[in-house]
Amino acid sequence: MRYADFVSFTFASLRAQRLRTVLTALGIAVGIAAVILLTSIGEGLHRFVIDEFTQFGTNIIAVNPGRIQTHGAPLGAVNTVRPLTIDDALALRRAAHVQAAVPVIQGNAEITHAGRSRRVTLYGVGAEFGAAFRMRVALGQFLPEDDPRTPRAFAVLGSKAAMELFGGDNPLGDRIRVGGERYRVVGVMQSKGQVLGFDLDDTVFIPVGRALEMFNRESLMEIDVTYEPTAPLAEVEEGIKRILSARHGSEDYTVTPQQKMLEVFGTVLDAITFAVAAIGGISLVVGGVGILTILTIAVAERTSEIGLLRAVGATRRGILLLFLGEAALLAVLGGTAGLLLGWSAALALHLVLPALPVHTPWSYALLAELVALAVGLAAGVLPARRAAHLDPLDALRSE
Amino acid sequence: MRLADLFDFAWQVLRSSISRTLLILLAMGIGVAAVVVVTSLGEGARLYVANQFGSLGTNLIIVLPGRSETSGGMPGVLIGKTPRNLTLEDALALKRSHAIRRFAPLIIGAGDVRAGALSRETPVLGSTAELMDIRHMEMAQGSFLPPGDPRHSQPVCVIGAKVANELFGSRPALGEWVRIGDRRFRVIGILAAQGQSLGFNTDEIVIVPLAAAQALFNTESLFRILVEAKSREQIAAAKADVEEIVRLRHEGERDVTVITQDAVLATFDRILRALTLTVASIAAISLAVAGILIMNVMLIAVTQRRREIGLLKALGATGHQIQLAFFTEALLLALGGAVAGLAVGELGRSFAVQMYPAIPFQAPWWALAAAPATALLTAVLFTVAPARRAARLDPVQALSRR
Repeated sequence: MRYADFVSFTFASLRAQRLRTVLTALGIAVGIAAVILLTSIGEGLHRFVIDEFTQFGTNIIAVNPGRIQTHGAPLGAVNTVRPLTIDDALALRRAAHVQAAVPVIQGNAEITHAGRSRRVTLYGVGAEFGAAFRMRVALGQFLPEDDPRTPRAFAVLGSKAAMELFGGDNPLGDRIRVGGERYRVVGVMQSKGQVLGFDLDDTVFIPVGRALEMFNRESLMEIDVTYEPTAPLAEVEEGIKRILSARHGSEDYTVTPQQKMLEVFGTVLDAITFAVAAIGGISLVVGGVGILTILTIAVAERTSEIGLLRAVGATRRGILLLFLGEAALLAVLGGTAGLLLGWSAALALHLVLPALPVHTPWSYALLAELVALAVGLAAGVLPARRAAHLDPLDALRSE
Repeated sequence: MRLADLFDFAWQVLRSSISRTLLILLAMGIGVAAVVVVTSLGEGARLYVANQFGSLGTNLIIVLPGRSETSGGMPGVLIGKTPRNLTLEDALALKRSHAIRRFAPLIIGAGDVRAGALSRETPVLGSTAELMDIRHMEMAQGSFLPPGDPRHSQPVCVIGAKVANELFGSRPALGEWVRIGDRRFRVIGILAAQGQSLGFNTDEIVIVPLAAAQALFNTESLFRILVEAKSREQIAAAKADVEEIVRLRHEGERDVTVITQDAVLATFDRILRALTLTVASIAAISLAVAGILIMNVMLIAVTQRRREIGLLKALGATGHQIQLAFFTEALLLALGGAVAGLAVGELGRSFAVQMYPAIPFQAPWWALAAAPATALLTAVLFTVAPARRAARLDPVQALSRR
């Protein structure tokens, strides 16, 4: 059989039973659409999380006291016998490629002003915090570059905290009480919104030296180191470890580059996307069973036609290819329809719920198409073999 | 047509094209089995989390320092510090409440534990003798921390099974001295191995008396107070008491967060239920695909059985009866598929139980009811079009044409 004949024959047999073809392809289409839609949502969430993290910059390394991790957070941040100090942070500025080393301690305190009070998240930080985390000031300035061991009592408010405490008034220069101590407001941050459940606007920033005194502790929770974006990560990590180990005598701290955290998040989210796609893929398998059923019926119906073809010289291989081609065509038709369906459903979903991030990963779409093709071919094998092994004489006589 | 005739008719049809019937059963079965397996996994995870929370203690209330006005602020409160500490005196004041059976103040931190030349960094818990009862801990050897005034401490410690193994190997650990930070403690007990519990490994901890931990970490402030209410009914009263007592002690300022075990558990429960439902409905898409297949095959059957239907109508069968015959066939298919699917799903569930005996995989009753119901419903819905087509066939034309 010539190639052109083969193609036209396949198309003709599918066209002859239009409704049947459409319904069979629809089975595959629903499966593919489900996979595309689900992976689009998964991939969208993935990008959303990565964006949330990288808005602070990617060239950040966190150093925490202690080497054990529980609940994903370093335990040393709570209490530790091997403290990280402000001097450690100052020393880290001398490490190779390091741009800034910001000491951080975090807690919860009440701020009051003129009879109004509010409990907010308190960050005791160094002066470079704003620059290192790409947080911008809306009014005034961030904490000034004082000696971190004896800083002046200045505070910077988060936008929500400022709004709650001062209403529409300008808080610059006013005095507030933070945890019972008096501070002068020197700045208000721009709104950052919620980041992964953390409200970054309901906050107050004070110098880290004063926060340590307020909380009566000697250890920082974290030192955040930023490095030149072009510098090799391993070298920067090495430099940090060399300085801290020399100061502490042993490696009693944990160094976590943000890129490593992003990788962990990435693998987890990819695994979830894959699992959900696999569950959606069950529909694809059922669609494959559909192709198998319909082709089995078709072979029974077209027995005499097959007999005739064989009698006029078609080989077994030719008949086999004919039915396999029909199965593959059904699957690809369904796959393409499903791709369009899933894609438009994802777009529609994005229009209805703009908050839900959606992104169609084309690698997954291609993979889904290939899987559809494979399912179609696999479903076609049995009926095609049955057709190919028909005896031409018996087949012709069956009519 | 009598009911028995109806069934007999459908049965004949199904039997005459056995491979077609089996394939449709397979498609339906895959759908139902997928729903059952997926919901068992979800339900198993939910029960597992519930059990884990249960093993943390019963009627538990957790007091932590700090409070946040926005609901999103929880993570900050979880490890953050506060200007006014939650102190041991605050904890001792809780004795005044009638609703509270016992409580254990808790300090936690990272410490390096050394025995001889071996050293290991582990979480160090400072607490009192009540911790054992509240957390349902069990001892493998020796005894737990001695009761007494929590303001004073003896230099003793209780170590987890893994710590004992790492530091002492096969040597007996009881009665030996270990160093934590710059202090010495005598090992008086070894905890029974419990394994991982909600991300916290109790085999890998060291428990010292509260006052020792305060000195070790140079801190007054407690990390948590674990409170056990006298009964389930008194949890709410105990929570109110705790809030009131601490507020009075803190000059009228409400600066602690009190969470009950039930509230946390309910949140997890809701999330996991929603997840299970979502995943189940994704799996149920395959049932719709199976429905499409049934419709397709029925349509083919209508064409193939034209003469038979024509004959039935010529003999006086109404369109309604023809429709009923098709619906019976579809229902039988769906029922068979559902039974097969439930069986395969059950098989998959027991396989999962074999693989992970710790997690109680179990299909929830609503899934066991909903999966076959959905299968039946889709089968009937997708048979409407073919059945109507069959009912509308004109007997004369159907019989006359070859």
